[in-house]
Amino acid sequence: MRRVRALLRESIATARSSRVASIVTIVMIAGMCAAVLLTTGRTVGAEQAVISTLDSAGTRSIVIRAEADAGLQADVLNRIANLEGIAWAGAFGPAVDATNALNLDGMRVPVRLAYGADLDDLGIRTGVGVPGEAVWGSPPALDQLGLSDDVGSLVTTSGLDYAVVGSLATPDYLRFLEPLAIAPQAEQPDAPLSVLVVIAARPDLVAPVSQALLSVLAVDDPTGITLSTSESIATLRALIEGQLGSFGRELVLAIFALTGVLVAAILSGLTALRRKDFGRRRALGASRGLIVALLLTQMALLSITGAALGTGGALIALTLIGDPLPGLPFVAAVAVLATAVGLVAALAPALAAATRDPIRELRVP
Amino acid sequence: MLEARGLTFGYERDRPIIVGWEARFEAGEVVAITGPSGRGKSTLLYLLGLMLKPFSGELRLADVEVGTMRDADRARLRASQFGFVFQDAALDPTRTVLDNVTETSLYRDADLRADQIRAQELMEQFGVDLRARAKPGQVSGGQAQRIALCRALLNRPRVLLADEPTGNLDPASADVVVGAFHDHAATGAAVVVVTHDPALVARCHRRIEL
Repeated sequence: MRRVRALLRESIATARSSRVASIVTIVMIAGMCAAVLLTTGRTVGAEQAVISTLDSAGTRSIVIRAEADAGLQADVLNRIANLEGIAWAGAFGPAVDATNALNLDGMRVPVRLAYGADLDDLGIRTGVGVPGEAVWGSPPALDQLGLSDDVGSLVTTSGLDYAVVGSLATPDYLRFLEPLAIAPQAEQPDAPLSVLVVIAARPDLVAPVSQALLSVLAVDDPTGITLSTSESIATLRALIEGQLGSFGRELVLAIFALTGVLVAAILSGLTALRRKDFGRRRALGASRGLIVALLLTQMALLSITGAALGTGGALIALTLIGDPLPGLPFVAAVAVLATAVGLVAALAPALAAATRDPIRELRVP
Repeated sequence: MLEARGLTFGYERDRPIIVGWEARFEAGEVVAITGPSGRGKSTLLYLLGLMLKPFSGELRLADVEVGTMRDADRARLRASQFGFVFQDAALDPTRTVLDNVTETSLYRDADLRADQIRAQELMEQFGVDLRARAKPGQVSGGQAQRIALCRALLNRPRVLLADEPTGNLDPASADVVVGAFHDHAATGAAVVVVTHDPALVARCHRRIEL
């Protein structure tokens, strides 16, 4: 530990004593990070914004609609639970119109019985209201029913009563069911279903998951089933991701390579100027390994400083001009890679400095 | 203490400068190596200081062969067992005098705080303590050489090697340096000095002509 502290102290002192070279190195590393973030970072930010828009359109959703006599039942959820690549699944029974019990002539809203263990993700709290008779409504549904306080009673056209116990935020993949009012039900294998919604874990899994779903529906009349997916959007998403990603990678590599060469050139010049210094150190007992460690530690400190300044500056600039930010993982990766580029660029000059003959260097006038 | 047996070395394989050189340096003595320029006196000093590896022959420190050790081991020995005074002091102009004196602390993996205390004592002894925070460019040639002497003595070396240590000094500064050599030899170390200075040679216990 003492050796590490001593090495750090000596590296800082050496960096401070070569002030101009240190500042130039920091500026170059900072410039590299800023260049990457202001070019590729913006592309990544835009890509993430586009993909986020596509995802909000439901790139991973699979919707299966069943006619009344098709025979699709809630036990399909048990079979779906055994499939891989599924992030969410929920099933809904046929819609039954309902009105506010206090205003029977008011607007009607379709109420659906809902099944599935993933319904909690919609913001539904279990244990609220009478099981099976509690309804959760989306803001548009509650607004149409005139239930501004998210509580009240409903009566269906078939004469059943339900208690409205709260509101839910309708996710993008259930928007097509708006105005949404659902009554979560306990497991009921033979309950008839009219809509089954499944979200694949990744866009590229939409097609295989769809195929798998069709094989586990176990319906009486397959012609009464309609499956709709977002496969075309998923393909578009993959295309955008691939093309922008490829462009970004090439640009990043070019910037890193250019900066690496420049840093290596600066450090080579610096070590050439300091050859008497290295000769003295070697003569007084510094091993080759210590010389390399000193130079690499010094470079690591300068690179980390440059990376912090460059990424910080670029993020502030992106924020000020209102461009989308590329995200923490990308920013962190750029900073780490920039530091690595600095270290790799410093390796050859460090080895060269360490292997020089101390006597020859000491005799340099 | 330090013994050379049949040392042969050159900067080119087929043109050795030093051939079959033999000498023994005992603890407590100050030995001068003299000879005309170009005979390899400094090269011999660097060989004795493990900065160069001989083509052949043996170099023994306290009866242990050290001349053919691997580089890292020789570097460790240079830092811990040897002290060096170069002709031009060879101080780092970008660092303070105190930093220069304690430079070998890092190479020896020593306690810097303890070394700084010893450095202060040495600088007081050699009259350069008031310049501890100055840069080498702000001190005279005589002071620079005394600072280099402080650096060489910091680790209490068993072997002190000096290359023309009084070459650029006025008589008073030279006298301080030579006195320091004798004081250090009296602690049980061997001191080897390459010099052209007859006054310095005269004050050494022994002289080896190259």
